[in-house]
Amino acid sequence: MVKDIFEIGGEEFGSRLFLGTGKFSDTKTMVEAVKASGTELVTVALRRFNREQAEDDLYGPLSELKNVRLMPNTSGAMNAKEAVRAAMLGRELSKSPIVKLEIHPNPHHLLPDPIETYEAAIELVKQDFIVLPYIPADPVLAKRLEEIGCAAVMPLGAAIGTGKGLSTAGMIKIIIRDADIPVVVDAGLRAPSEAARALEMGCDAVLVNSAIAAAENPAAMAAAFKTGTETGRAAYLAGLMPTSEVALASSPLTNFLSKTDSE
Amino acid sequence: MKLTVNGEPHQHAGDGSIAALLEELGTKKEHTALMLNGDVVPSKDWKTTALVENDEVEMLVFVGGG
Repeated sequence: MVKDIFEIGGEEFGSRLFLGTGKFSDTKTMVEAVKASGTELVTVALRRFNREQAEDDLYGPLSELKNVRLMPNTSGAMNAKEAVRAAMLGRELSKSPIVKLEIHPNPHHLLPDPIETYEAAIELVKQDFIVLPYIPADPVLAKRLEEIGCAAVMPLGAAIGTGKGLSTAGMIKIIIRDADIPVVVDAGLRAPSEAARALEMGCDAVLVNSAIAAAENPAAMAAAFKTGTETGRAAYLAGLMPTSEVALASSPLTNFLSKTDSE
Repeated sequence: MKLTVNGEPHQHAGDGSIAALLEELGTKKEHTALMLNGDVVPSKDWKTTALVENDEVEMLVFVGGG
């Protein structure tokens, strides 16, 4: 069987499940979930070093994981300028140009600011970053970001941490139809079936954090998302049957039963 | 030398290089990214970058995030 790999900015991935590392109860639980998920890419955030909370520093535990690349995010950035600076700091630590660009200044809904995101993306592409912007599920914005050189787009399924699922499915389908770069659903997913649906629709990958970190058993949920993602991808490759407005029988409708009745 | 490190006042007693400051604060070099007065300073420049009085230093590490 041909290995089903995909590429983002020249980086190859076998797993179509990306993981966020936030909200876990402790580092050990997070590491177990990362291992169970089979992921090859995890996101991390940047914060001020705090001597009293030195255990929050994830560099050590994550760098020990084999075959897992780090994607620093720009969370905390309120505008394009701050996001570019956060990306540069992240690259210093990850030693990799891959960055999750996220700018969501409003704490109530955490929805991405499309204008600042677009401006930051232009600058980061210029600085040779592999840019994966977190965006509203807007097909026009997605295409514009592709045109300026983003390596993938990451439309939201629902607002961060809400677990409302693929509420933007219709728009994501349009993004996929038009995109010539990978599409990764980021944020909002709650259940592995939703990850499966995203992959069935033709998304290249999903990025999941809260659904796993806030599950009763994060490692078990990570394993369930791994299966869900793989199943969705397999179904997409298998080619789903067309839908129909009218019933199409799957059994022969030869009228032999009623015939005996009438005789 | 009086500095501001991560928003807090800090009295630096070393040779005034970024490398000396990190050592003084007990931070792991390869785990830390650094900004000086708002500009990113790559780790290759830490030995040669001289701090001056009232400099503002931000030291950042990777933490969990989605």
